[in-house]
Amino acid sequence: MGIYLDNAATSYPKPETVYAAVDRFMRDVGSSSGRGAYRKALLADKIVFATREALGRLFGVRDVSRIVFTANATESLNLALKGLLAPGDHVVTSSMEHNAVWRPLKRLEHERGIEVTAVPCSMDGSLNPQDVADALRPNTRLVALTHASNVTGTILPIGEVGEAARRHGVLLLLDAAQTAGSCPIDVEALGIDLLAFTGHKGLFGPTGTGGLYIREGIDLLPLKEGGTGGESILEHQPNHLPDRYEAGTLNVCGIAGLSSGVEFILNEGVDRIREKEKELTGYFLQALEGIHGIEVYGPKDPEKQVGVVSLNISGVMPQDVAHVLDEAYEIMVRSGLHCAPMAHRTIGTIDRGTVRFGLGYFNTIEEIDAAVQALAEIARKALS
Amino acid sequence: MTYIAPCIADPDKIRLFAEMSTDIGEVMPYLNAVMKNATYNKNGPNLTFMKEFRLVTLYPRKITMAKALNTTDAWQVLSWIKDMINDVHERRDSITPDHELRSRPTALQIYGWLPKTNCKDCGELTCLAFAVKLLLGQKSIEQCSPLFSPEHAERREAMLEIVAAIGYEVPEKLGSQD
Ligand SMILES: Cc1ncc(COP(=O)(O)O)c(C=O)c1O
Ligand code: SF4
Repeated sequence: MGIYLDNAATSYPKPETVYAAVDRFMRDVGSSSGRGAYRKALLADKIVFATREALGRLFGVRDVSRIVFTANATESLNLALKGLLAPGDHVVTSSMEHNAVWRPLKRLEHERGIEVTAVPCSMDGSLNPQDVADALRPNTRLVALTHASNVTGTILPIGEVGEAARRHGVLLLLDAAQTAGSCPIDVEALGIDLLAFTGHKGLFGPTGTGGLYIREGIDLLPLKEGGTGGESILEHQPNHLPDRYEAGTLNVCGIAGLSSGVEFILNEGVDRIREKEKELTGYFLQALEGIHGIEVYGPKDPEKQVGVVSLNISGVMPQDVAHVLDEAYEIMVRSGLHCAPMAHRTIGTIDRGTVRFGLGYFNTIEEIDAAVQALAEIARKALS
Repeated sequence: MTYIAPCIADPDKIRLFAEMSTDIGEVMPYLNAVMKNATYNKNGPNLTFMKEFRLVTLYPRKITMAKALNTTDAWQVLSWIKDMINDVHERRDSITPDHELRSRPTALQIYGWLPKTNCKDCGELTCLAFAVKLLLGQKSIEQCSPLFSPEHAERREAMLEIVAAIGYEVPEKLGSQD
């Protein structure tokens, strides 16, 4: 079977109910939402709405029409950035961002003449909220931040940044790809105006699911135009949410699975999931301390990071470590730059990347023990 | 929800039916007591009200809604209705049920549901005059013939509910039309 420690890329396994929901939908419902008046189409529509409601409960969103479905966090971030920013706007971001934030910003810099400031984070990926506040200018429209780094797991101080942004009338876009489902997120408490999430990581949904919460009063230009369930008579994309941003047939099959994933989280409780991941992370970090020849990046403190641990073994390239872990130990991890070269520049690993362990709710202490033992053996061989 | 179609008068909006999972007949007088702008017809029974711009009628086993923005909007309103019914049901010991029509609609409210074209088909000079006479029982609803054209389907449904609620006869063939 092997040991899966790549949950930061996509979570695996999923709760049983997720598999069942996708199977049931494909087999028994199968129709698209918002498109027909017959009962099965309405059933599909009901599943989509129930998913919005579950996400609303998870993120503290009361008007769930403000949650729109997308294919993943990448699409959500593109919609938020390209739909919002106009020539002359200034954006503050961090030096730990994923390419899903950084590349759209770079494109907008060239094509729309926006300005971007990437506030430097320290070597462990942490961000001083005061640095963000200091970077705000009169033309700053948006602060775009990852909630937790997908390289070091470092959790950024969103509450403080949100407060500063609100004080200056600047919007806050949060990339919750690494935290939705595994860290508590309340859009009101954290002052989040735009929340981008992906369905296939901490939310336990299938790939190809994700969404964006858009605070009331914010109008984004849609990324795409096309068919929507209602208002077909209009020549332009309807103004009402969620239809305004949901042109084209939705991934209802995936959303059905996502619904069960989110229900699973609500039943277990995000706090309990967070506790379990903290316990696994703390246990792993502590065990790594005792191994000679391993350098761990990030805060090395489970309170300050999610279940993501990046490391290197001296004398071995990360891709070789990942290869040996897979071939000899059946342990699945990720090596390289993890689509976040900026973050690697920040922590000083741009030349080779890191080996990344993504711990998830379904991992066990025994699996962590096996990984630690394997790493110790590889490190010992590298030194001898 | 068991049925969705575009609104006849306003194809940008949708109308729909939804079935109740339980019979709310018994709760309806309590709902009537707490809802300020509802029109209750104890003989239906049914309870008609506006949720912002949407027209909602509750029956013991079903809900009809017109002028919802889209299906998400409709689901949100249905979920709001469900919460409200559950809430009223829970608090029913502290509510005095109201079995009567709470407030007689005003002429202006009735006017609001008329086509407002002043076409004089009803024999009155204006829709407002017709509304006043309707309230006085001197006119009957079917005398406003434009209301029975497909274009005014939602208005007609609302008017029929209201007229029935204030205790006037609604001709069977009209009342059953939808
Ligand atoms: C921090 C961060 N942002 C964005 C993404 C993009 O997510 P997705 O590939 O689901 O669009 C990821 C995951 O790869 C991520 O870790
Ligand atoms: S027939 Fe109807 S629309 Fe015409 S004036 Fe009378 S009330 Fe108004």
